[in-house]
Amino acid sequence: MIKKIDPRVKLLIVMCISSLGLVFTKVSMLLTVFLIGLLISRVLKADLLMLLKRIRIILYLFVVLVVIQSIFIRSGDSLVSLGGITVLTTEGLGRGLAYLMRVLIILISGTIIATCDMRRLIQGLVQMKLPYDFAFMTSIGVKFLPLLMEELKDTLTAIQLRGIDINSLPVKQRIEIISYIFTPVFVGAMSKAKKLSLSVECRGFRAFDNRTSILTLKFSTVDYFALTITFLLTAALIAANQYFI
Amino acid sequence: MNDFIRIEKLFCSLNNIQVLRNINLTLYKNEFASVVGPNGSGKTTLGKIATGIIKQDSGDVFIGDKNTRDLSLPEIGRKIGYLFQNPDRQIFAPTVFEELSFALKYKKTPSAIIEQRVNEILDTFELNQLKNASTYSLSQGEKQRLAIGAILLNDPEYLILDEPTTGLDPKRKNELSKLLSILVNHVGILLISHDKAFVLKHSHRIIELYDGSIINDKKN
Repeated sequence: MIKKIDPRVKLLIVMCISSLGLVFTKVSMLLTVFLIGLLISRVLKADLLMLLKRIRIILYLFVVLVVIQSIFIRSGDSLVSLGGITVLTTEGLGRGLAYLMRVLIILISGTIIATCDMRRLIQGLVQMKLPYDFAFMTSIGVKFLPLLMEELKDTLTAIQLRGIDINSLPVKQRIEIISYIFTPVFVGAMSKAKKLSLSVECRGFRAFDNRTSILTLKFSTVDYFALTITFLLTAALIAANQYFI
Repeated sequence: MNDFIRIEKLFCSLNNIQVLRNINLTLYKNEFASVVGPNGSGKTTLGKIATGIIKQDSGDVFIGDKNTRDLSLPEIGRKIGYLFQNPDRQIFAPTVFEELSFALKYKKTPSAIIEQRVNEILDTFELNQLKNASTYSLSQGEKQRLAIGAILLNDPEYLILDEPTTGLDPKRKNELSKLLSILVNHVGILLISHDKAFVLKHSHRIIELYDGSIINDKKN
């Protein structure tokens, strides 16, 4: 039942969560938005474990960015100082934590969208009057994503099988290797797109806006209920941010 | 015989489908072995497991005396050269020269030696004209030769070649044939192929897979 929530409702939920994440500046409010997002994600049975696995590799990058955000803000009271030089201020810590919260909110929004069946999501976009060209491009993109991921993995494997231990390389060389990993995948994607467009055109396909679909989405009671809750909660959070905290 | 890869009681499944069942196999350094079998019989999976690209559900794979569970991909890559079924998957540098010199460059080999070794491979594989060409504009056959050349520059002790004759015209296939005949004197080779004539011509031993199990393992 919960899994069958209309993708347009999920899009709206994500839009509200991510907008609030961008607009709010107080750490307490951002934390609240993140926790609400987490709760919705759990209710929708999103695969949080998979998210953790996927971001494991770039987790250290987040930590580095939070530290950089923190130490370059000079305003506020000194929290940590080394030899008379202020390293961390209250403002810096606040900004760093706010940045971390925003990243987490974006990631949790991603897990909510990931609970949508892609065919239904695209149909939702079309019914929201998104031009069919864009919806078609999105659906093709989604279908190609696993293939691109597989290609990235294979290229990484191929590099490692040449005896190169990426983890033991200096940072400069590691960055060089990243370009080796991504360039063939991008070039391959371009070439596939070219072949695909030729193939669909040869079959007489055109992405006309005026088309019918075997799948049409209709709002159910659960969807209306979820929509109402989303609006009320968003309004409550905005009010709390404005007047109470 | 000098055993190099030893597979013991190996089971492997991919996407909840049992691909390999109770595989027991020893591959030798001074031997040209071939794996044959219909599509979906597990040939490519077997090759990828021997190289540590895919992890098995149970059982062990030993390279020399070391279990692949204890070896990283780069450590395996220094011993085994693996040719992917689709060479596009393993060519990642923008030019032919860069592709060939990649591993040597990161192993801090002096430039003069890199130049010399790459030129030797370019000669062997008749890729001289394409030294500075973009790898994305190569034909399938040229990519295949480039991929094999790049692997050989890594000085592997053993080669696993997954369908190396795909996309090669009879002339190129003949050249690959000659090259493998020379290589087999220096390294062990496991050929995964559908090309019956090619397999029969080169193999000392033919291993037949069917539905994930070895149903035949005989000398040729």
